[in-house]
Amino acid sequence: MDALDRPRATTTPWAETSLPQRAVLQYEVEQFLYAEAALLDARRYRDWLGLVADDIEYWMPIRRTVTTGDLDREFTKPGEVAFFDDDRAYLEMRVKKLEAGSAWSEDPPSRSRHFVSNVRILEVAGEEITLEACFHLYRTRLETDVDSWIGRRIDVLRRDGDSFRLSRRHLFLDHTVIQATNMSTIF
Amino acid sequence: MADGANIAETWDKASIESLFDPATGRLDRRVLSDEGLYRLELERIFARGWNFMCHESQLKDPGDYLVSYIGEDQVIVVRDEDGQINAMLNTCRHRGNALCRAEQGRAKSFVCSYHGWNYGLDGKLIGVPGRSTFYHNDLDRSQLGLAKARVESYLGFYFATLADEAPSLHDFLGTTGRTGLGMVCAHGEIEFVEGVQKNVIDCNWKIAVDNLFDWYHVPYSHASADAAGFFNISKIQHPKNQMVMLGEYGHAIGGPGIPQEMQDRIDPLSDAERAAMSSAAPEGSPRIRPQSATSLMGTAGVRSEGHPNIFPNLWITISGAQICLRLPRGPSRTELWWFTVVPKDAPARAKREMIRRMNHVFGPSGLLEQDDGENWSQSTRSARGVASRELGQHIQMGIGHDQVTVSDDGEHIIEGLISEHGQRWLYRAWTDWMVACDWAELEANHALPPTGVV
Repeated sequence: MDALDRPRATTTPWAETSLPQRAVLQYEVEQFLYAEAALLDARRYRDWLGLVADDIEYWMPIRRTVTTGDLDREFTKPGEVAFFDDDRAYLEMRVKKLEAGSAWSEDPPSRSRHFVSNVRILEVAGEEITLEACFHLYRTRLETDVDSWIGRRIDVLRRDGDSFRLSRRHLFLDHTVIQATNMSTIF
Repeated sequence: MADGANIAETWDKASIESLFDPATGRLDRRVLSDEGLYRLELERIFARGWNFMCHESQLKDPGDYLVSYIGEDQVIVVRDEDGQINAMLNTCRHRGNALCRAEQGRAKSFVCSYHGWNYGLDGKLIGVPGRSTFYHNDLDRSQLGLAKARVESYLGFYFATLADEAPSLHDFLGTTGRTGLGMVCAHGEIEFVEGVQKNVIDCNWKIAVDNLFDWYHVPYSHASADAAGFFNISKIQHPKNQMVMLGEYGHAIGGPGIPQEMQDRIDPLSDAERAAMSSAAPEGSPRIRPQSATSLMGTAGVRSEGHPNIFPNLWITISGAQICLRLPRGPSRTELWWFTVVPKDAPARAKREMIRRMNHVFGPSGLLEQDDGENWSQSTRSARGVASRELGQHIQMGIGHDQVTVSDDGEHIIEGLISEHGQRWLYRAWTDWMVACDWAELEANHALPPTGVV
């Protein structure tokens, strides 16, 4: 994650591409992210899985309140405790669970809105595009539950014909203690 | 502790004792919602009892600290220069500000961000700005160290209490509590994995504790995790081979148990034979414990594949692979902390797979626990309705149908079908703790594990 934290130096091939090329790619990427968000908001989880690559790395580490001197330990590292630590098989399980008819934490279903903003393409390497974005997942449940999860994420999209497939999503929450009964949805 | 004294006028001994009837299993739902009872719990259960602070592997070096809780009292848990682990209230003796505002870290000393009072890792007040000028050298620093909790450990698990007169941790845990912690270490040395899953659920802490003994809810609450292929309920639940162990002060274990006939076949086996059997068993089966486990868990305890709870709020689950603290945050709010444990000597690749699996079980995004929280919050919510709460909680299952046997190691166990003996023991013990004015009274009057028909 460290290397992906910062925009790449201006000498990368991506930065050397022309403004129109970059604008087109930015448009394509954003449209993909919006379409993906719309599928999740519409509870079309099976269709969403269709946008996920076989080698997906879907990860949300745990964030801790630490002093400035300990900032290197703010997030847990890969292989440590995490809220999400999924490969494709685990994501399929999550979707199967939602489809089971007995996933009580989502029945009655939550109402969710996935916002994506501040999209910046960090790197284009062959078929793979690495981007950073801010997310806001807003969820309400039952009569009174209102949950909001906000953070930054690093996505890797891979070209797949006219569209993309998501091959990495690392989610860095702006929360430490999760102020919610559960996180029974997909970010 | 004037707060408790005031509340005790409303909630006297008789009125507390009327809340739970062990003979019928009826629990007054105000136990889950009443503010006065909650405030009394903070004093009479949390401040008085031994609270889990950390495992030794979380604080490896001098200066390593984390912030934990005794009830709602925030505590700094730190390893000092002598290697000793101290627990001290996280509140400056001057104006009460928190010394540590980070959850964890490494410190040489604790400096208050308000006026700069500076405390050592042992809690002693070292430095006070303006001591000779503004205070004219008449400040007695020896009286102004951080308030320390008593700390004792068992098998590397550190606990703290605010009650000087509490029995030793060893005696408090008793056979049942020690079996519970022994379960975590039964396969050898362990370490805690970096990171704690923390989230808040709008429920009373006791309904979460009640749930850990509850193997009745598993096929229903967690049906979707089974349908998704995450786990196989029929291989885990063993509804006819259940074992409940009841210990002093409210410790208990509930869940599947290895039948004695099967254990009799395991006992003569060497550790190598047991390991071979475990690797041949279907995926998801618990590993057969080595011979040394009996001395850690007792002759009956070694047969338990259930869930120990160290009273009041430390749950040990999945053969000790995950541990959960349920921290009270008001009558209708509980903070859950999930710790993950791995064998210290396991190969890195095996550890990674264990951690990945455990990252999916509990915690707010866990495939199992996602479905628990709402049951608990809605149960707590209904305890606030004046008519709903009159109905009482129904905790009757198994009453009068089971027999307690006492093992050679003095463990009180009940074997048979799924029951609610563990839950009734929880509320029985809760009553004992709540009516006792001090430790002497609690030691003299608490219920001993039952014998005969229960």
